[in-house]
Amino acid sequence: MTTITDTRLRRPAWSAAGPDSVRRRWIRLLLVAMVPLALFYFAWLLQPDRIGNPVLYVLLLGAELFNACQALGFWWTCSRERPWRRSEWNDLPPAVDVFIPVYDEPVAVVEPTVRAASELTGAEVTVHVLDDGDSDEIAEMARRTRARYIRRAEHEGAKAGNINNALACTDAPFVMVLDCDHVPEQHFLEATLGCFNDDRVAFAQTPQYYANWDRGEVPAAAWGQQALFFGPIARGKDGHDAMFCCGTNVVFRRVALLDVGGFPTESVTEDFELSIALHERGWRSRYVPEVLAHGLGPEDMASYVGQQQRWSRGCLSALPTVLRSSLPLRQKVQYALSASFFLSGWTVLVYMTFPVVRLVTGAQPLASTTADQFLGHFAPYFGLSLLAVTVLGGGAYTFKAFALQAASFWIHVQSTVLTVLGRRGSFVVTPKEGVEGRQPRAVAPALAAIAVLLAVAGYGLLRDRDPATLNNVAFASLHIAVLLAGVVPALRRRPLAMVAPRPHPVPT
Amino acid sequence: MTTTPTDHRTTTTHRPRRHTTPPPRRAPHPARSRRESAVRVGRLAGEQLAVASGQVGAGVGNLLFALVAARLLAPSAFAELAAFLALYLLIHVPAGSLSAGSALSPELAAHARRRALIGGAAVGGALAVLAVPLGALLDLSPLLLLAAAAAAPTAPLLALDRGRLYGLGRRTRAVASLLAEPAVRLTIGVAFAALVGAVGGAIAVVAAGWAALAVAQLPPGETAGRDAAERTRFDRTEAAPRGGAAAAPSRPQTGLAIAAFLLLAVIQNQDVLFANALLDGDEAGRFAVLSTLGGAAAFATTTVPLMLLPRAGRDALRAALGVAVVLGLAAVAVVAVTPGGLVSLVFGGRYEQVGALAVPYVLAMALLGVARVFVAHACAGDRARRAVLVLAPVALLHLALIVALGDDAAGVATATLISTTVLTAGTAAIALPRPLAVRIPREAVWVAAIALGGLVLRLLATRGIWLDEATEIHQAQMPMSAMLENLRTIDVHPPLHHIILWGTVRLLGTGELAVRVPSLIAATAMIPLIYAAARDIYDRRAGLAAAVLASVAPFAVWYADEARMYAVFMVFALLAVWMQVRILRGGGAGAWIGYVVAAAALVYTQYFGILFVGTQQLAFAVALARGAVPLRRYLAWSALLVLLVAPLVPFALDQFSANESAGRGFQQPSQAGGSVEPGAAPGAYAALTNLAWAVLGYHSNATMTALAAMWPLGLLLALSLLGRGRSWPTMLVVACALAPGVALFVLGQLKPFVFEVRYFIGAVPLALMLIARALTSWARRPAVVAGACAAVAAIMGLGLADQQLNGSNPRVYDFKSALSRIEARAEPGDVIVFTPQYLDHVVAYYEDGGLKMQPLDDGLPAPRRGHKLFLLASFQDKPQYRSAAQDAVRKLSRRHELVRRDRVPQILTWEFRR
Repeated sequence: MTTITDTRLRRPAWSAAGPDSVRRRWIRLLLVAMVPLALFYFAWLLQPDRIGNPVLYVLLLGAELFNACQALGFWWTCSRERPWRRSEWNDLPPAVDVFIPVYDEPVAVVEPTVRAASELTGAEVTVHVLDDGDSDEIAEMARRTRARYIRRAEHEGAKAGNINNALACTDAPFVMVLDCDHVPEQHFLEATLGCFNDDRVAFAQTPQYYANWDRGEVPAAAWGQQALFFGPIARGKDGHDAMFCCGTNVVFRRVALLDVGGFPTESVTEDFELSIALHERGWRSRYVPEVLAHGLGPEDMASYVGQQQRWSRGCLSALPTVLRSSLPLRQKVQYALSASFFLSGWTVLVYMTFPVVRLVTGAQPLASTTADQFLGHFAPYFGLSLLAVTVLGGGAYTFKAFALQAASFWIHVQSTVLTVLGRRGSFVVTPKEGVEGRQPRAVAPALAAIAVLLAVAGYGLLRDRDPATLNNVAFASLHIAVLLAGVVPALRRRPLAMVAPRPHPVPT
Repeated sequence: MTTTPTDHRTTTTHRPRRHTTPPPRRAPHPARSRRESAVRVGRLAGEQLAVASGQVGAGVGNLLFALVAARLLAPSAFAELAAFLALYLLIHVPAGSLSAGSALSPELAAHARRRALIGGAAVGGALAVLAVPLGALLDLSPLLLLAAAAAAPTAPLLALDRGRLYGLGRRTRAVASLLAEPAVRLTIGVAFAALVGAVGGAIAVVAAGWAALAVAQLPPGETAGRDAAERTRFDRTEAAPRGGAAAAPSRPQTGLAIAAFLLLAVIQNQDVLFANALLDGDEAGRFAVLSTLGGAAAFATTTVPLMLLPRAGRDALRAALGVAVVLGLAAVAVVAVTPGGLVSLVFGGRYEQVGALAVPYVLAMALLGVARVFVAHACAGDRARRAVLVLAPVALLHLALIVALGDDAAGVATATLISTTVLTAGTAAIALPRPLAVRIPREAVWVAAIALGGLVLRLLATRGIWLDEATEIHQAQMPMSAMLENLRTIDVHPPLHHIILWGTVRLLGTGELAVRVPSLIAATAMIPLIYAAARDIYDRRAGLAAAVLASVAPFAVWYADEARMYAVFMVFALLAVWMQVRILRGGGAGAWIGYVVAAAALVYTQYFGILFVGTQQLAFAVALARGAVPLRRYLAWSALLVLLVAPLVPFALDQFSANESAGRGFQQPSQAGGSVEPGAAPGAYAALTNLAWAVLGYHSNATMTALAAMWPLGLLLALSLLGRGRSWPTMLVVACALAPGVALFVLGQLKPFVFEVRYFIGAVPLALMLIARALTSWARRPAVVAGACAAVAAIMGLGLADQQLNGSNPRVYDFKSALSRIEARAEPGDVIVFTPQYLDHVVAYYEDGGLKMQPLDDGLPAPRRGHKLFLLASFQDKPQYRSAAQDAVRKLSRRHELVRRDRVPQILTWEFRR
């Protein structure tokens, strides 16, 4: 017996499968109940006599409407979830080229992926290591594992360019893309190739599972966010024929890729823009809700911030493309919802501003209302929204995931500004191994927000202790608590393991 | 020289105490052994009863002497003699603990006699020297003090020698010594009292003591040989099973045994001493009567442990326990027949009210008798140290309870009952032989300690009787059929709690604490119950955290101190949910029985309990749809539940129609916080207020407003629950905690008063369990979990302190203080007028001084010249009662002199003199 230390070789602790039909019906009922509650709240909020300070009111309304659109979009997406049944490839095992792009990652990270890819069943597999790092060690590893090694002379177009280069060097009818840290299950292709029985399907996406979710608070929280996406959202998008490619753990039909000229190299989220292009050309996509590959999520705050900056820059810059596209309305809205999600940091900023302004100047967005009235209209909508996230997310989306997202509000603000200014982002590979030590710079804007909120709350309490002040101090405390929960992992010297590491014995 | 730790029972360094016969090598045949054991128990019980009869005879003789003296002597002379007798007892009771030592180790009597004589003589000498000043201080004749001084040397000697007789098994001589005292008192004492007065009686009492000592010290006669022979037989049969030749107890063991019996004497007597200091004259007198009555029960069993001490063994324990229990129960039974009548007969009609407390107090003394047996058994079995470790804290607890509850005789009696109950349980735990004793895991000790802490908190947090309590106490004093008819026609509650209170009133009386005993028991039992439930549903940590939170939960403490159904409601709701979880986990008949009984009891306790049961039935429906519960089994048990609840339906319908036709309204205090309009349909703020009450308790309007303003922290709580609570037991607990409140919130839009946490108070223990689960599962590190639990418990503790101590708490209606102040100033012929009219029961509860009372609605009476009229007004936040009180004050001010105006929480009083 031996013990496994690589978390990617463990069994997954999560299932992407959807609920059974009875549960799905209950969930739909829940989602239907949400709509009147949202209307009830907004009908109250939009009454003219609610307007306090007009500027603040408009900000509040904007934030609330944005979040309501996102929430409605979420419920709408999830409500179209269709039951998944795996189908078999109905012909002789096809040839599949497996692309594993590499860029300076250690051999220890890449080798398990290459070895596992070599053992894929259900197709004639050829594994290609696409090395943009020009590493002789990777070349030696490829030789050792009998994988084909492709090195470019010029490294243009980052990951997209690397894959396009490999496309030109290969000819199998199907192409599978794996990030170098994603170790596939042996039956990966058996589970996905059936989707291509339909000639209109361009690609089949599978979940991006973070096998290292228990290595610290950052991967755990990041995984919480991923699980919500690759759970109910991805299943719902599949129901809307709007699942987009996520860059790894995906199988393409070569013809479809060639039809749109391969991966777009101008974007930092090439997968997102590729999906738009494919859907525009009438191709379809499929989502396979099975964990078929085990990857590594960001293990420290700097890695997480880098990843989020890349995603938000890419998606926000793709927003005009989405709006200009000739996609059917349903798909267009789905893409718009996904891309605009990275504006949600603005709403966090707006909400944080209100107690600060109220405690310092006395101005507030709402007038002639009591907390009783506000809560009476807001609490049911808010409460049921949280319940829906919990139920739909299967409990994977936790407070820590929410807090990490809220504490990253500044990334969305920064990305919006940079996108509006037309600054181009560069493709930054998410580090596969965490760095020990405190990383306060990665959360500096959130720390600054905490400091401001603390100062203002203290000032408010010193000045007055009437119920209105206490209420705004409580609001400030709410934001402080959420932000603190989000930034604390960056302030720890060592990551706090979420579950005591328990080696899995395997037979030798 | 080195020493080796050895078991002193087997080492040869100690002289064998009983005999040197080796233990039998062959185990006796089980059937024969059982038969022999039964014979032995019977014989030992007979011996015990013989000596106890002597003791009872001595007690009756001494009582007769007192009664004869009471008739012979003038009242003042009898009072002097009674004071002398009290002093005599004061000397003899502590010295009596020496009996334990010499019974355990008879040779001690010979060794210690000289020292005891010197000690007694020293005390006597001191008394003699101080006779004049002490006499002046105590208002006693110095001659009586000199008599007491003459008695002092007999106290330790008599104790030592009687103990020696018990230890040697010389019961005939022991009985003779016991009876010698009353014999001398009833002959010489009566004659002397008749001739010389109190001093003569006192001299005879001293002479009786010396006579008893002389009898005890007479050389052994023929009976001694028989006793000794019997004792040898006993030693062969009893000591051997303990594992070999028994050895004499070591000196420290004997000393510890004396200490243990001294502590028992403290527990037995400190209540009367402290009652005298804490209570006013009349109340102290009432307790003295009670103590005398209870003392008789304790006196009857005095010899039982002393006889047991030298006879450690299971059979001797059984015999002693049997005798102690029989004597104790007999005493309780005698008193229970007609407590008031008995007290009147013995002590006079003015003490008749004490009768209501007689049964519980005699029961307390009976328990003390049983505890003494356990202590004796522990001392005989080398566990004297453990006995002392149990007795010392119980003595302290007793003292603390007396101080905390000692507002009246009932409070002191309750303190004694609680202490003797704890004492009996504690001493049983250390004394029972292993096959009988349950091995107590450490965690159970923790839970017991938490529960004990919770009990003390509940006992300390006292307040006066509230309106609804007074009404229910009034109803509970009716005959059962009348009470049920009263409930059916003019009340709105189901009958279970009324029936419990009906029994309580008959058993314990109508004292404040007595009527709250069921609530106190329920709210304290909730602590181990919530531990067991949370441990079963979640894990050990959640169980312990839930127990800690329940011990300080302000609501649990508040309703422990209210003679209403809410504490019981909480317990039944918790039990019903726990049992349902067990059923859904595949529990058997036990879980079903528990569920059906708890659910039915819930409905019989409060009609709103139907909301809990309804929620649970919905959960069953889901479980049935998923096949988690067999349909047949569900139908069978549900049918039983329906059968149990069915008799309540016509009762409830009668109540409903009676109330509808009478058009009776409902008055409730304003207690929702400044931002909630009384009578308005509940909104989100009312929901928040109820939530704050449930977790943090009742507070002043200002505090509630501030707490409610912090509602954004509720959003934080909601966010922190993201992704959590998806296990089905948690969902069930959440549903049962929320659904009744939501239902009443909806109903509250039509009938606002129903949305009040009291009516879905069953949610409180469930919420505590969920909080405990959240606290113990959010973090993994024990230190963090412990810190979080401590922080939440501290916040609840702060809430509890504010709830209990802040006079602005709008739930506190201090009728007790208001009426006691009136009583202190009132004289016969004065009148109390009160408003609103429905204060009648609470005014009647507290006003027992014979004042005339009437509601303001009946008009303003005109007291006779020189007499006073007290106006008492409450619910002054209600305009109609405020204006009625103001009008009355205006009218009275025209014709009367306003002497005084007083205010206690929620009550205003005016004193007018004509």
